[in-house]
Amino acid sequence: MSTEPTSKPNPPAWLIALLEHFLSSERQEDVLGDLYELFYRRVATKGERQAKYLFLLDTLLLLVRPNLTRHTSTLSSTSLSTSMLSHYLTMAFRSLCREKAFAFLTILGLATGMAFSLLILLWVQHEWSYDRFHSKADGLYRITAQVSELQTAISPSPMAPTLLGQLPQVENMLRLKPTENLLEVNGEKFEEKGGYYADASFFDLFSFPLLAGHSSTALSRIDGIVLSERLAKKYFGTRQALGKIIHLDNHHSLVVTGVMQVPLNTHLQANYLLPLSFLEKQGHDLHIWGNLEYYSYIRLKENISTREGVTQGITTTMNALFAQNEKQGQAVFGLQSVSDIYLHSDLVGDVPSRGNIAYVRLFSGAALCILIVACINFMNLSTARSAKRAREVGVRKVMGARRSELVGQFLTQSLLVAFLALLLALGMAWILLPFFNTLTDKQLTLRLLEIESLLGLFGIALFTGLLSGSYPALLLSSFQPISVLKGMIQQGRWSLPFRNVLVVAQFTLSIILIVATATVYQQMELLRNKHLGFEKENLVYVPIRGELDKHGEALAAQLASNPLTSQFTFVSELPINSTEGSDAVWEGKSIDEQVIFYSMQVDAHFPETFRVELLTGRGFSAEIRQDTANYLVNEAALRMMGMDAKQAIGKWFDLQYKGKIIGVVKDFHFRPLHQKVEPLVLEFNNATRGKLVLRVQSQATKATLVALEQIMNKLNPDYPFSYGFVDGEIAKNYSGETRMGQITQTFACLAIFISCLGLYGLSAFTAQRRIKEIGIRKVLGASVSELSFLLSKDVIPLVVLAFLLASPIAWYLLHGWLEGYAYRIEISPWSFALAGLLVLVVALLTVSWQSVKAALVNPTKTLRND
Amino acid sequence: MKGTYLGEFEELVLLTVALLYDHAYGVALLEEIIERSGRSVSVGALHSALERLETKGFLRSRMGEATAERGGRRKRYFILTPIGEKALRDVRDLRESMWKAIPQTALTGGAS
Repeated sequence: MSTEPTSKPNPPAWLIALLEHFLSSERQEDVLGDLYELFYRRVATKGERQAKYLFLLDTLLLLVRPNLTRHTSTLSSTSLSTSMLSHYLTMAFRSLCREKAFAFLTILGLATGMAFSLLILLWVQHEWSYDRFHSKADGLYRITAQVSELQTAISPSPMAPTLLGQLPQVENMLRLKPTENLLEVNGEKFEEKGGYYADASFFDLFSFPLLAGHSSTALSRIDGIVLSERLAKKYFGTRQALGKIIHLDNHHSLVVTGVMQVPLNTHLQANYLLPLSFLEKQGHDLHIWGNLEYYSYIRLKENISTREGVTQGITTTMNALFAQNEKQGQAVFGLQSVSDIYLHSDLVGDVPSRGNIAYVRLFSGAALCILIVACINFMNLSTARSAKRAREVGVRKVMGARRSELVGQFLTQSLLVAFLALLLALGMAWILLPFFNTLTDKQLTLRLLEIESLLGLFGIALFTGLLSGSYPALLLSSFQPISVLKGMIQQGRWSLPFRNVLVVAQFTLSIILIVATATVYQQMELLRNKHLGFEKENLVYVPIRGELDKHGEALAAQLASNPLTSQFTFVSELPINSTEGSDAVWEGKSIDEQVIFYSMQVDAHFPETFRVELLTGRGFSAEIRQDTANYLVNEAALRMMGMDAKQAIGKWFDLQYKGKIIGVVKDFHFRPLHQKVEPLVLEFNNATRGKLVLRVQSQATKATLVALEQIMNKLNPDYPFSYGFVDGEIAKNYSGETRMGQITQTFACLAIFISCLGLYGLSAFTAQRRIKEIGIRKVLGASVSELSFLLSKDVIPLVVLAFLLASPIAWYLLHGWLEGYAYRIEISPWSFALAGLLVLVVALLTVSWQSVKAALVNPTKTLRND
Repeated sequence: MKGTYLGEFEELVLLTVALLYDHAYGVALLEEIIERSGRSVSVGALHSALERLETKGFLRSRMGEATAERGGRRKRYFILTPIGEKALRDVRDLRESMWKAIPQTALTGGAS
C-alpha cells in the first residue's frame, strides 16, 4: 500500500451478508467483529488482496461449523428432511422386495431401455466431438469453392498464403494435398493411402499430439516424414521411430521426423504427412490459381468478436483475389467451420471420413423413443399395482400425510428403481459395447469416471425416474381415504383407459419399426440386385501405378496372350461414383446455359468387357486415329441434346475439344442409385492409365488372379500387386443404408422386447385380480381354452388400434426416406400386414402365458378362503 | 463424563483464556494461540471451540465495547469459570501423575 487510499478498504459486502444470514444470532456480533478486526490488521500487514482472500477463507471455514451457524429449524417440517427421506427409501425397498417378480420386470425393462439410450448417447456424443479438441477450434475454417453447380472442398494453392499475407485477422494457414505413396521400410514395400503433403504449420492448426519429434520442426525438414502411431508401430514396432529411414516411391530417402497420434474424432484421418516443400522441390508449382486441388485451412485471431462479419469480409476478399489472378475460371469461395466438416459437409472432393447429421438426429430420436417406451412400462406396472397400495395410501392420509408428501414418497420409489436400473444398464451397456461398435463401425469406450458422463448418467436416471414416477405418484396420492379404507378399490376413472393408451403407444412404435425394417431390407435388395446396365459381377480391377503406364503395350500383349486374362479394358475410373465432368457444347445446342456432362475415358474394349450395349454407331477403335477426338454418348445425353440415336451419329460435339459423335451406348449406372442415369460422354482412353478392368470367368477367378499377379510383378516389380472387385466397390456405396437397416432391426427387436415385458407384467396382474372369477367360471364348467381366451382377448383391440395408428405414420416416414432414391420399391401392404400380425402373435403369446397359467389353477385353491 | 471431557485444542484455548485473563476476546486469543503453538488456527475453529467450552460451563462471557476497527461491533470477553479451572487442573494432575509413573529406563533422557 504505497499510495494513501482515499477510502478505507472494506471486507466484501456479499460475504458479510452471507455471514449475517447464516451465523447464529448469539454469536454473530463478536465473531463478525473479530473478522473485521482481523481484516483491517491484515490489510495493514499483508495488503488488501491477501486480506480479502483470507477473509473469504475464514468465512467458508466458519460456515461449516454447525455450532456457530443458525439452526435450520424452519426447514425440518418439509418433506425433504433426512429422516423422512430415509423412511421413503425404506418403504420403497420393502415394496420392491414384497413383489420381486414385478420389481424385476420393471427394473429389467427400464435397464434395457437405458442401456441402449446410453450406447446411443455415447455414439452421439462421439459424433458431436469431431474436431472440437483443437486449441482455438472455433477460429478454425476451411476454404470451400463453388464451381458452376459443384460445391467442392478444394481451393487453389496460393489462396491461403495470400490471405495470410493480406488480412491481419488471419492468424495462420495450412494447405494439405492428399497423396498415396509406396513406402519402403527395410526392403519391405507398403502401399499407403491417407497421406498428405502439408505446410509446416500443420501442428499449430491441428492439435494432434506428437509422440515423438517436436511440433514446430516436424515438417520443416524437406526430406522428413511424420508417421501416424499406427504406421510407426506397423513399420518399426515402436513409437520411437525418430530418425529411421523410409524410401518413398522407389526414388527418395526420407527421415522420420515425428510420430503423431491421430485422434479418432477428427475428419482428417491422416496416416502420414510429407512436407509441402518436398512437393514443390519435385517441380510442383504452388502459385497456380487455376488448379483447385488443395484443402486450405485458415485460423482467425482469437480476439475477434463478430465472426460473421469477418468471414463475410474474407469471402469477399477471396472472390476478388481469384477474379484478379485467374481470368478464365469462375469460382465462388466460402468458409466452413472445421468442427462442422465431419457432420455437415457434403462437398465434392472431400476427405473420406464423413458422418451424417441426419443419422445423429434419427438415432437420438430412436434412443428417446426406446427410453420413453421403457418409462411407459414402468408407469403401467405401477398404476396396475396401485390397488395393492391403496390401503397404505388411505392409512397414511388418515394419519395426516399431505398429498405432496405422498407424491414425494412415490417419486422416491421410482427414482430408486431408476437408479437400480441404471446400475444394471451400465453392466448391460458394458457387455453390449463391442457389438454396438461393430454395428456403428466405431471404437467407443465407456468412460465412467469423467465428470460429464457421470452427470449424463445421473441425468438419465433422474429423467426416467421422474418421468415414469410422475403419473403413478399423482394417481396414487389422489385416492380418497374414506373409500379405500372401506375396501372399495377405486381404480380411478381414467386409469384403465390410460393404461391402454400406453400399451397402444408401445405397440404403435413397435409396428412402425418393424415396417421400417422390412422396407429398408426390400429397398436394399432392390439396390443390390438392380441391373446397372453393365454386368458388375466377375469384374476385377487393378490400379495402374508406377512404371506401368510406360509398358502399356507389353502389358496389353501379355494379358491378351493368356486366355484367362484376355478380356480387359482400361478406364479412367470405375463406374461407381464418377465425379469427373465438363462443360458440353454440341451441334444445334439451343440453350445458352452451361451444361455439365459427366465424362469417362474408356478404350476400345470397354463395351464388351463391361457388357454395355451399343445401340447405334460403333465403339472406339485403336486403328482409327481420329477416334482420339471422337465421342460416345449415352441415351440420357441424347435426351438432353434432343436428338434420336440415328441423328446423333456424325454430329459434332465439344467437351474440351471438338470431335464427332460416333456411337450411342445404352444407359448404365455410373453413380449410386440415389439418382437416375445422367448424361455421360465417353472419351477415348488411348494411354494406359486409370484402372485396368478384367472380366474373369467365375470358376477361374483364382487362377486368373495368379496369372494377373505374375504379369504385374514382371512389368511393375516396384509395386506390390493389388486388386479389387467392382461389385465390392459398388456395395460400399450403400454401406450407410446397410448400417441403417441393421440398426432399425435392432431397435425393432428392442421395442418389441420392452413392450412385451410390460404386457407380461400387466397380464400377470390382471390374471391375479380375476383369479376368483376364473375359479367360479371353472367350477361352472368353463374349459381352460375358453378361460385363456377370455383373459387374452383384451389385447386384440389394442393391437388393432396400434396397427391403425402406426400404418399412416410408418407410410409417411418411409415414403419420405424412399424419396431419396431414384429407384425405389413400392411400400408393400404385405410388410404392414406382416408387422401387424407379428405384433399380434407376440402380444397374444405373452398374455396367454399368464392366462393359461391362471386358467390351469385348481379352483379349490383360489376359492377355499371364501 | 461426556460433558467434562476436554479436547486437546479445547485445553489450549482454555489455557489461553486463563493466560490473557481480562483481555481474552476472539482476535487476542487467536494471535496468542498462533504465536505460542505455531499452528494455523481459523476464526471458525476458535469460535467453535469457545462455543463448546461455554456450553460445557468451562467459560462464561460478557460483551465489551464497540470500536470502529471492528465495524462497529462489540467484543466478547471470555473468563474462566471455577469448573473450567478445575478441568484444567485435572488434566494437569493426570498428566503429571502419568509422567511420574513412567519408568526412567523407558525414556531416552537428554532429548526429552
